[in-house]
Parts: sequence; C-alpha cells; structure tokens
Amino acid sequence: MPATEPTPPLSSGDGISRRSFLRVATALSAGVAAMAAGLAPLRKLEHYSSVDEFLQKHYLDLNPAEMKRVLARIEDEVQRQYKIRPHVRDFRPMNGVEFVYALNLSRCVGCRKCVHACVAENNQSRNPEIQYIRVLKMPNDGSFDMDKGDTNYAPKAVPEAGSFYMPVQCHQCKNPPCVKVCPVKATWQEPDGITVIDYNWCIGCRYCEAACPYFARRFNFTAPSIPADKLNPNMSYLGNRPRSKGVMEKCHFCVQRTRDGRYPACVEVCPTGSRKFGNILDPNSEVSYILKNKRVLILKEELGTLPRFFYYFDV
Amino acid sequence: MDPRKTTLTLAVLTVLFLGLAVVFFRTPARPERIFQAALVPSDALAIVPDTIRISAGRLVSSGGDASGLQCYACHDKKSPPKIVYDANHHVVLPKEHRDLIYSMRNCAECHPANDPVKLEYDADNNVILPKAHLRLGEMAHGSVLRNEDCYTCHDPNQLDQLHTAEGTRLTLDNATLLCAGCHGTTYRDWQAGAHGRRSGYWDQSRGELLRQGCTSCHDPHAPVFTPLIPMPGPHALHARN
Repeated sequence: MPATEPTPPLSSGDGISRRSFLRVATALSAGVAAMAAGLAPLRKLEHYSSVDEFLQKHYLDLNPAEMKRVLARIEDEVQRQYKIRPHVRDFRPMNGVEFVYALNLSRCVGCRKCVHACVAENNQSRNPEIQYIRVLKMPNDGSFDMDKGDTNYAPKAVPEAGSFYMPVQCHQCKNPPCVKVCPVKATWQEPDGITVIDYNWCIGCRYCEAACPYFARRFNFTAPSIPADKLNPNMSYLGNRPRSKGVMEKCHFCVQRTRDGRYPACVEVCPTGSRKFGNILDPNSEVSYILKNKRVLILKEELGTLPRFFYYFDV
Repeated sequence: MDPRKTTLTLAVLTVLFLGLAVVFFRTPARPERIFQAALVPSDALAIVPDTIRISAGRLVSSGGDASGLQCYACHDKKSPPKIVYDANHHVVLPKEHRDLIYSMRNCAECHPANDPVKLEYDADNNVILPKAHLRLGEMAHGSVLRNEDCYTCHDPNQLDQLHTAEGTRLTLDNATLLCAGCHGTTYRDWQAGAHGRRSGYWDQSRGELLRQGCTSCHDPHAPVFTPLIPMPGPHALHARN
C-alpha cells in the first residue's frame, strides 16, 4: 500500500491504531474502486457472446458440421435476445437458377408497400430505421436523373400527376463494385446471382456503401432494435437473421424465400403487380418474357455494373 | 510484522473485494446512447399479400367467404356493427357502404388497422361520404362511354353470367377470358406473367404459384386503378431539408 508519510509506530502488541487502520482502509478502498471502475467497460463485452463466435470461420470455409453448430448458436442468441426461438437455415443456391428482377415503371404508383413488407420480412432495424428499398418520386421530364428523385413525398394519394415512381434497391450486379472493394471478402456473388454478406465476417469499413452506385447498402450505426412481436422467425444465415452493430446489410432478394422457391416479399405485396421476379435461365419464366418482349431500362448502364435488376415499360 | 495486523488487513481486503464484486455485478452498465426516434407505424398490413378488391368470382367460388375484405380495418371486433333489416327481411345496406360492397373493395388496402377511419357526420347525423368513395360504383369502363351497355358483358337473360362477343357463356369466376376478348395484348402479358400479380412459389416443383385474375385488382365497372394512400416514407431524420 503506498503511503505518503511514514506509518506511525504501532502501540505494542495489541493490534493497530485507529489512525493507521483508517489510512490503510481508505487507500485500499480507493485503489480497489479505481480498479473496478477501470474494468467496468469489460461488462459491455457480454454481447460478444462466445468464443465460438469470435473464432468462427468465413462462411465459405465452414463445413456442414460447423455450419450446423453456427446456426444453432445463432438460434440461441436470438432466443436470448428476443425470447423467440427462430428457425435459422442456410439456403444454398439452386442449380440452373439465376435470379433476375424486373420492375414495371409504367405501373408503379409509389405506394411504398414493398418498402414496409421488406422491413417486416427481413428483420430490419425499426429504430434507427433501415430500409432496403428507396422509392424515388421522379419528375416526368425524361431525364432519369436519380438526383432529381424525392424519397420523402407524402401526398394524400398516389400516384401524383407529372411524376413517376422508381423504387431502387440492390441491383445484384454481375460486375459488383461493392464486392471488389471489400477488404476482407465479407461480401461476394453467389452462383445464382445474389450478392450476399457474411454479417459475422464484415468489419464495418463501409467501403462497399461508398462503392455502390445505387445507394443500396445500409450500415448499422447502432445495435438494431426490432420489437420482438415483429420478428420474422423464418431466418437464414445470409439473409434476414438479426444483424449486430457495425455491420453492413442490403437487399438479398429474400434468400430465405427465393432459394426455397418462393417469391420475394416485395413481389408478393405489390398491389399493382409492378414487381416481377424469376429465373432467367428458364425460358418460360416471366422475367425471360419481359426481357424478350418489353422495352427495358438499365439504371446507370454506362457504369458497366451489369445489374440483374431491370426496369421496363409496357404502356 | 505483526501476524494479527496482517490477518486483519487481509480480512478487510477480502470483505472490500467481495463488496465491490457484488456492487459491480448488480449495478446496471451505463446504457448505450442511441438516438430515440419515434417509431413509424410500419408493417401493419404491409406483408399481407391481399389484392385491392375481392372479385365476384372468388366470392362465388369460395361460397361467399368475404373474410379477405378486412372489415375490421374500420370496425371494432368487440362491438360489431348492428345489421338492420327492412320489412321483407332484406339487409339494409348503410349508405356509406353501398359503394364498397358494390365494388367489393378491400378496405385494408387503404386503411391499416392501426389507423382506423374517423367518421364525420352531417347535421342530420348521416355519414359524410369521403370523395375517394364517391366514384366507386360508377360505371366507368371505357373512356368514351362506348362500353356502358350492361349486355356487352352480362348475359341479358341471366345477369350473374357473362357472355363474350362471339356468344360463349362464362361464369363470374372466368371473367378473365371475357376481358381477354378486348384486351388481348394485356391478356398475353398476363399469361406470361408480365402483367398482374403473382405470389406463392416461382418454382412450381416446390409449391403452388398463385395468379390473380383481372377482377382481383380491377373493378370491371371502373377498371382504372384508383389512387392509393401511400405508406409512410423514410424517417424525417433522413429528409433533405
């Protein structure tokens, strides 16, 4: 114990004097309190739940047994946080399938149902708000300049005269700038055309967000908050499992639905049927028909990103 | 060194550490500072893939199941509306509903359950019809009124059946084939999937692909798609101004 002045001699044989006791006790408690205060931030580490998570390999390096353990661990984590046992699966790309999306700009009325269906399906943070789809109200001047788009329109009824509506989300490019810039290979393109993110591998540098010409990537600046009763328990590793603070996320064509053979949530809710989705390798799919027969627009085609997301017109 | 002193010091130290450990694990950590924005009433009915209206065909083929009409978007489930009958025991349709039932609109497509309608009354205590409802139920098929003759589509001898231009009789749930008679290109697109709504499974080896017929979205008497109330936009935090 450091003492600033020499300890006075103890009275012979019968314990310690009150003065020396107080001195020692004060110094001691001050030192211990300081140590406890210094260690206090460690308590916040509890959400780095396990050594397993810390030592987890990259998604593409996990063997089936390891994957099973990882999925079980994620289910445990979600159950601990939301008191709901989810069903977390790892959907792999299907053979002979390449997904393509088509959106009918002549029909879209800008009702934003897709935005909210996406939020509900994909467990996006409600606060702060994260939305994958951004619906731009565009002036009908033929320019297709995204900078002229307004996302905050709030009229009593849509559509409004003199404008059209252009929902923008991840274009699942064949030549994705976001994948090229990722320094840790936490995002990559799968054989079925979906660019996915391993949320456990992402370091949150946001290079991909800066690289994306479609403003499709979202960053979790804080831990996302989702009301437990709004949680969608049908989850996938690369898709809609709850994200953590400091990772990127984006539209993944609802992998938990589409790799199971179903339509994405945004397609199902669109009241005007503007959203079309399917397998471009199947000549009888609706997207094959659209690309063969309709006038198609590729947003920012000049950038050479080769999107798998097409806008089309039919009126 | 005095052994009693050492023992005492160690005992005090132990007690102190134990006390601190208790305090350490019982005091809550300082909460993370996050921006607390008001939650946008987001996903009320957004994920329900219901169509704009219930087609007569669907109503007939399901044996009159109107559950998809979402009456409880406006009505309180605990105090259901009173049904009034006239002298002949026919249901008296309330004035504010005549158009809705005629056009079979799905209320919840515009009125989410968490944002119920506030009814306004005039001096005689009658519900004031909102403008958006006045046009429902008008005959407005064809922009130059060339199609206002009921018997262009309805069979004159049996009004709940349809007949095409070449005389084929169709039931109400086959209305799509009747529409195809005039709107051939749209029908072709619909068959290929480029027009209209699809839900369920794109991969038909795994499940059923659900297609919606014309009258699930278009009112056959006024087929132009009516304006919708947009869902809330991004939080004002993201607004430009």
